[in-house]
Amino acid sequence: MSWLVGQASRIYAFRWVTLPPLVGVGMFALIAASLVVAPRESVEGEVQRVFYIHFPSALTAYGALFVVFVSSIALLWTKDMRWDAIARAAAGVGVLFTAFTLGTGAIWGRPTWGVYWTWDARLTSTLILLLLYGGYLLARNLADPTDEQAARYGAVFAIFAFADIPVINMSVRWWRTLHPQPMVVGSDGPAMPLEMVAVMMIGLVGVGLLATWLIVLRSETELLGVRTQALRARLDRRMGV
Amino acid sequence: MEGQLEYLFAGFAVFWAGLLVYLVWLQARLRALQAEVRRLEERLAEEVPVAEATAATRSASAARVAPEGGA
Repeated sequence: MSWLVGQASRIYAFRWVTLPPLVGVGMFALIAASLVVAPRESVEGEVQRVFYIHFPSALTAYGALFVVFVSSIALLWTKDMRWDAIARAAAGVGVLFTAFTLGTGAIWGRPTWGVYWTWDARLTSTLILLLLYGGYLLARNLADPTDEQAARYGAVFAIFAFADIPVINMSVRWWRTLHPQPMVVGSDGPAMPLEMVAVMMIGLVGVGLLATWLIVLRSETELLGVRTQALRARLDRRMGV
Repeated sequence: MEGQLEYLFAGFAVFWAGLLVYLVWLQARLRALQAEVRRLEERLAEEVPVAEATAATRSASAARVAPEGGA
């Protein structure tokens, strides 16, 4: 276990050297592949290329919110407040990518469905996810970042809020929706050409790396916020306030 | 399906503009916090000698008062 932690620390030490160039290459590959390499979809036309941003954004949002889920459990288990900083960082990134999913989906929906928004089960459950974690972030930002009780309440809320993700995933099967059935991971394999699957995989890697970098950046910011609070408290004690 | 390019452009623009705004906000927050930490550390370093000097003055005056009171 200590060997694993040591290896992870060694890899994490290189984050500023490895992550930004990898993200740059990944995002450039995503633009080139989605606009140039991917074939034109015969029914929907050019607008279908929005899929290469929309789908990776959705999966990345679920990934970031899974980090919130795991960090919240770790916080309750270990009572180490660093997990709270990681949970808050990942929640911010998760909310950002959920907003991207809804935004790009609305723009894609207008020419294909004829509307930007409809109270469809998939769309509504995704909006609920955005509101749940948006509320979590608002509550955590209003509380002192060093407040352990607020962090514990936030962790419990974040763990329960994660239950919305399986609901989003199953919504197209449980209810009749305008949103299409799963096309990438179906029971008979992918329901799209292999070139499209390859471009989608590039998108997943590129957006996944971007989200990892953003979570690292945001975690450092949150930890710096905690340090600022601790320094302020020390100064107040010394001045006798 | 005429005029779909504008929707394609809008979809990509939402993603990239949102990402840019988020990165600018994050960088501004990071810089502000770094500056705040530096400022607080400097103030703490300045406060240490002041606090030590105050404590030294207090103990010196207490030492001066004690013999007089005792005499």
